Amino acid sequence: MVIDIHVHPAFFEPINGDEEKEQLRHDELNLHKNGTAPLKHFFNKMKCAGIDRVCLLPEDYSSGGGGEPLVSNEEIRRLVDLAPDRFIGFASVDPHDEKAPEKLERAFAEYGLKGLKLHPGRQHFAPADKLLDPLYDICEKYDRPVTFHSGLSFEPHALTENCHPLKFEPLAEKRPGLRISLAHFGWPWCREVAMLMLKYPNVYTDTGVLYFDSAREFYTQMLTRDVPLTWIDRSLRHQVMFGTNDPRFEMIRMAQAIAELGFRESTLELIMGRNAVEFMHYDPERSAE
Amino acid sequence: MIKIVPLKIMTDEYNQYFIITEDVKKAVAASGIRNGMVTVETRHTTTGITVNEALECLESDIDVFLSRLVPENAPYSHCHMLPDYGSTGGNPTGHLKALLTGNHCHFPIIDGELVAGGAQDIWFCEYDGPSQRTVSIIIEGE
Repeated sequence: MVIDIHVHPAFFEPINGDEEKEQLRHDELNLHKNGTAPLKHFFNKMKCAGIDRVCLLPEDYSSGGGGEPLVSNEEIRRLVDLAPDRFIGFASVDPHDEKAPEKLERAFAEYGLKGLKLHPGRQHFAPADKLLDPLYDICEKYDRPVTFHSGLSFEPHALTENCHPLKFEPLAEKRPGLRISLAHFGWPWCREVAMLMLKYPNVYTDTGVLYFDSAREFYTQMLTRDVPLTWIDRSLRHQVMFGTNDPRFEMIRMAQAIAELGFRESTLELIMGRNAVEFMHYDPERSAE
Repeated sequence: MIKIVPLKIMTDEYNQYFIITEDVKKAVAASGIRNGMVTVETRHTTTGITVNEALECLESDIDVFLSRLVPENAPYSHCHMLPDYGSTGGNPTGHLKALLTGNHCHFPIIDGELVAGGAQDIWFCEYDGPSQRTVSIIIEGE
């Protein structure tokens, strides 16, 4: 089973229709000219990329302006209900919202969402700040992982310093039972992410990064030179997950490029799906629940 | 008089070819225009409009020919972050194939019918699918 661990559904047609909200999503995510996507079109993309399931990541930046999430947990649940055999839903809460723990509890207990997505740069917090402890406690209670944005963010008002991989080490060290993913391979600090994964088995990453060149060229640089392919193939093969960061990057060409880098077949299977299953403790047979 | 009829096509492959001759003929018939010209023009820059014979073997040959001329793995410039989009442009092959097949074709309309040779069909070519596409059928005349 091939899983894309990192998809943002902000422009999926079923959760759009309000022009003002759609424009807000374009502005706040710094994504333009992409229109909205009917689910049939998105499924066509998945088919061409050979992807069976995708993880849908919402964004709750409500305390930074707007007063409501860009994409809410309720909208993620609606999308999952439309295609439970293809979609896996994550939750998002704004750590500065005093009701965040209550909202996260509801997202896991009532909506059945499978993990938490946070953006330290955009939501302006340090990953190891005590402010986050109640949220991490809930994730551990429900055995849910956390995906953090790490490295460069192309969104406005995102402070890169909060997304540096070293900012996550105190959390990885303090909570060995909490599975965390430093998304986008922490680019440009991918060696730092490799270092953390070597030291902490609860640290994962994803491949949702393509800031220069073609997918084939960028992955060749990042996954065979910056981080030698052998490091992943021999040592980190259980902690790297395939992700595309769709719609900012290119699902089809990224999937093809990863497959052609030269990983062992068994490593490729881990990267393309099995590691995501382990990260989420995900049971495909019970995906709709 | 001029009428513009949009034809929507949802493609489901990376490279894909559709024969749209009948759609164009229907639009001409519905326009009420008896004598004039019809132009079929894609609204995109990674798709093509061309005229050729509607044969499976030719579709295969055209696809292989274009892929040989425009290989996927070449050092193109159009592979970088596009600030106006906030995303990475990585579809140079689509743009270059579109350049080769062009973006439109014309046919005369006589006595309310599109006049074409027996082997001439209108092809819509997808070079960066899957996607949602729109073709303009522009009918001019009286």
